[in-house]
Amino acid sequence: MITRRSTFRIATGVASAAILGSRAAHASDQTVKVGINLSFTGADAESAARIANGAILAFEEANAAHAVPGVTFDLVKFDDATATAGQYDPAQAATNARKMVSDKDYVAAIGPQMSGAGKAMSPILSAGNLAIITPSSTNPDITDPKFAAQYRPSGKAIYFRTVATDAFQGPNMANYMADTLKIKSVYILDDSGAYGVGLADAYQRQAEARGIKVLGRDRLDPKAADYSATLTKIKAAAPDALYYGGVGQAGVKLAKQAYEIIPNMIKAGGDGMQTADLLKGAGFPAVDGWYATVASPHVTEDPKTASFRDRYFARFKIYPDDYTVTCYTAAQVIVEAAKKVAATGKPVARDAVRDAIQGVTLPDSLLGPIQFDENGDLKNKIISVFQIRKDDKHPLDDPDSQYKYVGVAPMTQS
Amino acid sequence: MTAVDLFLQQLINGLSLGAMYSLLALGFTLVYGIMELINFSHFNVFMVGCMIAMLTLQAMGLSGQTVILSGAPLVLTLLAGFAVSMVLCGFIGVGIERFLLRPLRNVKGPAAMITTIGVSYVLFNLVLLTLGSDSKNFPNPLPPVVFPIGGAVLRLREVLIWITAAVLMLALNYFTRYTKLGKAMRATAQDAEAARMMGVEVDRVIMISFFIGSALAGASGMIFGLYYNLAKVDMGFAAGLRAFTAAVLGGIGNVPGAMLGGVLIGLIEALSAQALGSAWSDVVIFSLLVLVLVFRPAGLLGRLAPNKS
Repeated sequence: MITRRSTFRIATGVASAAILGSRAAHASDQTVKVGINLSFTGADAESAARIANGAILAFEEANAAHAVPGVTFDLVKFDDATATAGQYDPAQAATNARKMVSDKDYVAAIGPQMSGAGKAMSPILSAGNLAIITPSSTNPDITDPKFAAQYRPSGKAIYFRTVATDAFQGPNMANYMADTLKIKSVYILDDSGAYGVGLADAYQRQAEARGIKVLGRDRLDPKAADYSATLTKIKAAAPDALYYGGVGQAGVKLAKQAYEIIPNMIKAGGDGMQTADLLKGAGFPAVDGWYATVASPHVTEDPKTASFRDRYFARFKIYPDDYTVTCYTAAQVIVEAAKKVAATGKPVARDAVRDAIQGVTLPDSLLGPIQFDENGDLKNKIISVFQIRKDDKHPLDDPDSQYKYVGVAPMTQS
Repeated sequence: MTAVDLFLQQLINGLSLGAMYSLLALGFTLVYGIMELINFSHFNVFMVGCMIAMLTLQAMGLSGQTVILSGAPLVLTLLAGFAVSMVLCGFIGVGIERFLLRPLRNVKGPAAMITTIGVSYVLFNLVLLTLGSDSKNFPNPLPPVVFPIGGAVLRLREVLIWITAAVLMLALNYFTRYTKLGKAMRATAQDAEAARMMGVEVDRVIMISFFIGSALAGASGMIFGLYYNLAKVDMGFAAGLRAFTAAVLGGIGNVPGAMLGGVLIGLIEALSAQALGSAWSDVVIFSLLVLVLVFRPAGLLGRLAPNKS
C-alpha cells in the first residue's frame, strides 16, 4: 500500500539520486499529487481496495520507469465513506473534492467509486478545473450535456470515465433479459441512491420499450433491516424476474431475504451487485444465480492481460477484477496526459493536464482503444454480464471465481 | 397468492418485526421509567449483542447456513447463544450504568443523556475497529421447516421468535408485578426518594433495570441474527430508532405499552410496505406517532407522570 510517507521517500530518493549521480536536474523536476477518492471504509470497502490497487500499480510503474521525465506521481488516498452513512457519503466526497481543489499540487484525480459521490464532487472540481477520471461510477447524468449547468458549471468536461454508463448498463441488461433469459415481466427495485435510482430508471424505460411488463417499482431504504414486506409483495405479483438497481448495503440484505421468499425467481442487478461483500455477507446459497453486470469489457480472462495479471498478483497477492483494470487505465491516462504536457516544456499543472486528458488516445490499453468524447464519456462502450454460480474449487467469497462471465449485453439498436 | 394469503403473510412478517422491536423497546422503557433517562447506548448494545451471539455460535462450530441442527443439539445451541449474549450484554449495561452514569446521577440537565450517545458511538467504533464494517453471515442452525397456511407460509424461525419474545416479555411482566425486586423497581419509578426512605436500595434497583434492559437487547440481537442471517455494525441505528419510537408510541416508561408499541410498529411497517411501498413506511410510522402524541401526549398506555417538583 502506498502511503504519503512512502511515496515521499521514493520521491526524495529519486531526487537525491539525481543529485548524487550529478545528472543535470531536469528543468521541470517536480512531484505532482493525484488524489484517489473511493469508499475505502463501509459497505464497499472491499471493492475500493481492489480498484485502488490498479492506480497504485500504474503510478508505481510510471515512477519506476520515469515515464514522464522529471515528474514523480504521488497518489494520495481520500475516503468518502463515513461511519454514520455506513457507505459513501456525498458530503464527505464534497469535502474531499474541496481539499484537492485547494491544493495546487493536485493535477488530476481518480474516482469516485460511487455516482452519488460523483454528483457531489463534480461541480466543485469543475470550479477548480481539476480533472477526475472515474473507474466505476456509472450514473449518466454527471456527464450528460443536459445537466452541464449543474455538474460542470465552468463549461469544460472535467468528469471523465473509463467505464460505460448506466444509460447503457440498465438498458443493455433489459435487452439481455428479454433476448437471452426470455422474461416477459419484471419487478424493479432501487436503493434510493443516485446510482441505484438512475440505473433502475434506465432499465425500466428499455424494459417497457421491449414489451417486458413492469409489474411494480419500489424503493428500499438501505439502512432498514427488513425487506420481507416488499419481497412478499413481489412474490404475490409473481413476475418472471426481479431487477435491482443499487449497491451492496441494501443488496446484501435483499439477496439474503429474496432467497427465503422468492428463491426461484430470476434476479439481476448492475455492477453494484458485483462485489465480494455480497458473497461474504449474503453467501451461498442465497446469492446463487444472481446476475450482475459490469460497465466495461471483461478482460481479466483475456490472454492479452496476462502480463498485467501477473504483475498485479506479484504486488498485491490477489487477482484484479474488471474495475481494477479500468482504474489502472485511468491512471495510465493521467500519466499519458502529464507526459504530453511535460513534452511541451511547461510545468505539469492541472489546467494543462485537463486539456491533455481530453485529447488523450491510448490505442491499445487493456480495455481496448481509449478516447473520450466532449462530455468525458468513453467513445467505446461495452457492458459485460456475469452470473453467480457456486464454484467449490475456489474460495466462496472470491468474486473472480464465483462470478461467471456469461457474455456481452446487447446494445439497443436505434 | 390471494389477497387474503397476502394479508396473512404480511401479518406474519409484521409480527416478527414487532417481536424484535418490542424486546428492544422494553430496554428503553425500563430505564426511562426508573431514571427518566433516554438511554441512547441501547441502540448499540443491541448491535454488540448480535455480534456476541454470532461469535458464540461460530465458536460452537456453526458457519453460515451450512450446518443444520435438530433436536437437543439445536435447543442447546440456541439456549447457549441466548444465554451468552444476554448475560454479556447485561454486564455491558451494568458497566455503563456503574461507571459512566452513576457519577452523573445528581447532575442536572442533559449530561447523562449525552453520555449515553457518546457510549453508543464508542461501542459502534469498537466493533468497527475489531470486526470491521462488512456484512457478516450470521450462522443459522435452524432447519428450514415451513408450515403452509393457505397460500401464506409460516417459517420455523418466525414461530421461534414469537415464542422467545413472548416468554421473555411474560417473564418480565411477572417480575415487575409480583416479585419483591419488581415492586422495588416500580416504587423507585414512582418516587425514588420515598422508595429510599422505605428501605429500597435505589442504586441496586437501577443497576438491575440496566441489566435486564440490556439483556433483552442481547436477546433481540440474537433474534435479529437468526431472522435475517446477517450482522452488521450499522444495524443498531435503524432498528433502535424504530424501537425507541415504539416505546414512545406505547407510552415510555410503561412495560405493556412498549410491547404494544413494538407490535404495532412492526405491523404498520409491513402493511404500509404492501399498500404504499417500503419507501413510505417511515412516513406512515412517524405520522401516526405525531397523531397519537397530539391526542395522547403520554402515549397509548402511558399516564402523564405526576409533577415531581
